[in-house]
Amino acid sequence: MLTVSVLWTLLILLATVAVTPVLDRVLGRSACWILAALYLAAAAALLPATAAVLTGAGDDAVSAFAVPWAPQWGVELAFRADGIGIVFSMIALVIGAVVLAYSTRYLERGRQLSFSLVMALFTLSMVGLVLADDLVVLFICWELTSIASFLLIARSGPAGQAASLRTLLITFLGGLSLLVAVSLMVMRLGTSSLQEVLASEIWSQDPAFTTLVGLLVGIAACTKSAQFPFHVWLPDAMAAATPVSAYLHAAAVVKAGIFLLLRFSPAFHDVLAWNLLLIIAGLITAFVGGALALQQRDLKKLMAYSTVSQLGLIVTLIGVGTEAAILAAVLHTIAHALFKSGLFMMVGVIDHGAHTRELRRMPALLRAMPGAFAVTLLGCMSMAGLPPMLGFVSKESLLTGALDAGGPAWVGWAVALGIAGASVLTFAYCAKIVLGAFVDRRDEEALARVDAADAGADEPIDAGDSHAADADATSGAGASSGPGTDPTGALTRAGDAHPADRVMLWTAALPILAGLPLALVVGVLDTPVSRAMEAALHDGEEHAHLAFWHGLTPELGLTVGVIVLGALIALGRHRLLPALEARPFPCDGARVLSAVDRLAERIAAVLVRPIASDDPMRHLAAILVCFSAVALSSLAVLLGSLEPITEGVNRPIDGVLLVLIAGATLLVCTRLDRLGAAVSLSGVGILATVQILALGAPDVALTQLLVESLTIIVIMLVLQKLPRRFEAPSRPRRAGAVTIAVLAGLAAGAATFLFAGRRDRSEVAEYYIANTEEISGGHNIVNVILVEFRALDTLGELSVLGMAGVAIVAVLSSIRHRYVDPHGRPEPDPPAALREDGTSAHRAITSAWSNAAALQMMVRITAPILALLSAMLFLRGHNAPGGGFIAALVGSAIVALLYLSTSRDRQIGPPRLPVYLIGSGVAVAVAAGILGFVDAGFLAPLHGYLLGAHVSSSMIFDAGVYLAVLGLVMVAVNLLGTSAAVGDPDSEEETRERADETIEGELEGPLETSRGERAPRPRRVGAGTAHLSSGTRPKEVGRR
Amino acid sequence: MILSLTVAVLVAGGVYLLLQRSMVRAVFGMTLLSHAANFALLITGVPGWRAEPLTDASSRADMADPLPQAFVLTAIVITMAVTVFMLALAVIGRDDDMGTHPETGATRDAEEHDDDVPADIGHEVAPRDAAEHEAEGRDA
Repeated sequence: MLTVSVLWTLLILLATVAVTPVLDRVLGRSACWILAALYLAAAAALLPATAAVLTGAGDDAVSAFAVPWAPQWGVELAFRADGIGIVFSMIALVIGAVVLAYSTRYLERGRQLSFSLVMALFTLSMVGLVLADDLVVLFICWELTSIASFLLIARSGPAGQAASLRTLLITFLGGLSLLVAVSLMVMRLGTSSLQEVLASEIWSQDPAFTTLVGLLVGIAACTKSAQFPFHVWLPDAMAAATPVSAYLHAAAVVKAGIFLLLRFSPAFHDVLAWNLLLIIAGLITAFVGGALALQQRDLKKLMAYSTVSQLGLIVTLIGVGTEAAILAAVLHTIAHALFKSGLFMMVGVIDHGAHTRELRRMPALLRAMPGAFAVTLLGCMSMAGLPPMLGFVSKESLLTGALDAGGPAWVGWAVALGIAGASVLTFAYCAKIVLGAFVDRRDEEALARVDAADAGADEPIDAGDSHAADADATSGAGASSGPGTDPTGALTRAGDAHPADRVMLWTAALPILAGLPLALVVGVLDTPVSRAMEAALHDGEEHAHLAFWHGLTPELGLTVGVIVLGALIALGRHRLLPALEARPFPCDGARVLSAVDRLAERIAAVLVRPIASDDPMRHLAAILVCFSAVALSSLAVLLGSLEPITEGVNRPIDGVLLVLIAGATLLVCTRLDRLGAAVSLSGVGILATVQILALGAPDVALTQLLVESLTIIVIMLVLQKLPRRFEAPSRPRRAGAVTIAVLAGLAAGAATFLFAGRRDRSEVAEYYIANTEEISGGHNIVNVILVEFRALDTLGELSVLGMAGVAIVAVLSSIRHRYVDPHGRPEPDPPAALREDGTSAHRAITSAWSNAAALQMMVRITAPILALLSAMLFLRGHNAPGGGFIAALVGSAIVALLYLSTSRDRQIGPPRLPVYLIGSGVAVAVAAGILGFVDAGFLAPLHGYLLGAHVSSSMIFDAGVYLAVLGLVMVAVNLLGTSAAVGDPDSEEETRERADETIEGELEGPLETSRGERAPRPRRVGAGTAHLSSGTRPKEVGRR
Repeated sequence: MILSLTVAVLVAGGVYLLLQRSMVRAVFGMTLLSHAANFALLITGVPGWRAEPLTDASSRADMADPLPQAFVLTAIVITMAVTVFMLALAVIGRDDDMGTHPETGATRDAEEHDDDVPADIGHEVAPRDAAEHEAEGRDA
């Protein structure tokens, strides 16, 4: 596997991602040099595979590898280099290296991690995408490129945010489409291997399925490659820094769409829907993009729309789907990557030099920047398809491919004429770039007029556009002065423009200049392009014969026509262009998307209205009524066919308890004084305890009783801070609530009646009853189940307990003090009929200390007894009712009693103790679980004898339970018990401070100044201290 | 079966309280519902056998199903945790009957410890309109 060059390429890119943060920290923007070198290394690593592919050996030992990833679904982490993969990964790596080299000067000095890291990630996912040999891998890489491009655009500041979100929205739409396509293919064909899928017979046998998947894949590619009507994101994304644009829009993201189309061409190239979709979308895109490009005044936006237009041409050719057409598409993809990345970078060069990208404000830069002029001219010639550039060859082959289209002859001519028409626009906007930036002088008068008009009139779309472009200023040095700014902000003389930075100019020139010799010796591209074509069609026999000169062909005639028409437009530019620019396209993509956004928001507002309330009735009523309807109607249906009720399920005591519980429940519901309701609730709890005992569950009954008593203490702590009475519900609410409650009660009762008590003891019960003692040596089956058989459940439960404690601390320490403890008591205490002042009876009621005297007396006796009881319950848990929970609840009762017996609100124990208890409880339980690995696995109990008594490691687990329960009760008592809100003037601490202390430890000073901060510990003067600058006194030698 | 009537009564009471505005009443309602759920769980063990599942105290033939008991024991303790947490939520603020809730997320309020509770209690940060967002981007 180590000989697989594809693997090495991916590993190098992965390593690049890993080292980027370090490089960035050390080298700042110069880190991009190293990244560029690493990209080239990755490209070099791919050379053996390239050689294998180009010679046609198809040696999988070099060019493919696969590791099982999700073997149960047959998904493999599979990569494989073929013609398409090689061409596209070389584009991504080489252009990436050039762009990174350019970035070393373009970006501002200092750390640029968000740029370099995401770029590295982006390249990794792009190369992964084009080399993927598995549909799942392909899809994941596809989505990764979407996310990475989103991040690259979003990093460019506020204007980039909306643009990046639009990009994300559109590319994710495509992602969803691809996901559906991938799922359909995997489900239908039962394999996710790309090779097997593409070679499948199904594409020729099931036209409906083929069409569906073809359209889905086509739509996905169209979103990524910015085809109409998804093209809106691409010009938007110009908000990103220039190197990002150059890479995204020339070499990477948009090429991902092209790649996807080529990758799936073997399956779909002769499907009519595919051909139509791509040809129509491609031609419309080519025209719309070209026309919009001609309208732009900002150079970068112009480039963006020209990219849209060029991609349209490529997509059209893929849509044609013949060998010549695919050849042309691949060739033009290469040519476009070269000239467009160069041109984008040239825009950055001009921006740096002239401090503007707006053509209207640009002086004639010919003299100031001759080098830039030469390079831009060559790049534009290539884009316009003029000899002697590579663009000429590729444009010729585009026309050849178009004429090659299947069907009647007029189809080929129509497509060719469409391409020629788009090429006229291309020629025109190329001329606009070169002449507008370098030759045409500014018309000062017109500019002043425009500025005045812009300042007065509101031109929202345009303003948004140029400001979106301005965002580039955050990363580039140059800022294009938008309309409405002071005209003196722009350059006035060409002489002020300084020559381009050498590194930037040369790196920008590199890909453009590469197109010049390549055009003349274009034959070297024969093999790679042919291999790509073969990979895209799976049956290519024809070998490409690319050449600069084919003789006098119809294509040449079309090119001449294009040049003539384009030249005419260029000559008439002074009259044509202002008219075009003044009338921007009425429907702008950003505007459409924000309208869609607003519409969605409005619909959501309407939809959410029925439940946009904090009234529980609105949320619960529908659910409860539906539940009742289901349960009650099933009662009606099933009533006839029920098993007989098991004998002995009804006992007299059940009836007695039913009456009592019903009475207590009625009281809870009807009492409007909180104290009365709380006491009634406790009554229900006690009755439930009796019922549980009657059902033969002593452990459960004990737990219920203890929980009941602790809960009522906490309820009392809370009630002291709340109003004395509940608000009486309004009559309609009461009526509605009663109706729903009766329905729900009936339904629950019916469901219980229907589905329970109609069988024998369950098998699992028989198992536990028969085997527990033998397996664990314990007599108390319930406890053994809790700590041994189903200990994982208990571990989860104890985590919930701990979580509740931590959550209370978190909530209380995140709310402003004045909301937690509002000052002043809502209602005064009602006067009590007391004996006269000075009597012991009066004192016992009115003053707190005497009030607590009785309880203090009791605690002195009961606390040790309870502690002893707790220990006994803990130890005997295995064999008799007891165990960790019950023992902990008894132990917690000591805490609660201690708290209640003090006359003033005091915290029990050190402030951080409860959290430590919870944490150590969970830790001990998990440790006991890990101990189980000694035997059978996590939480398996170990049994042994200690001093002749049978012991089990589940005892340790039980100790964890004990600690966590104790911690929760301490949190509740300490934090909910603070009496500051009750208006106690003696109270020292308030809830918020105490919550903070639970996390931070004891805090000093008054509440306002110490919130959430530790008191700084004084330090001595040292080399790294800053006492003088911060004004804090150092600690000094000697005694205070 | 009588116990299913007990469940019905408890559920009805719980639901009634849950539908009230007061947080404390809702907590009480949840407690009643928990009792109901616990009984429903215990009933799945078929209450025809009611001897304690202690192997040294009862005869195996009469023993109640121990598994639901273990479940219910767990459920009771979790109920306690949830109840205490909900009570902590109820106690925030002056009055649990109020329709609005204070915002969370504050880390310090050193600057503003004025005693009167301002009108912005329960103030909600409205999700910012996308268009508004964009306008800001332009202005920046």
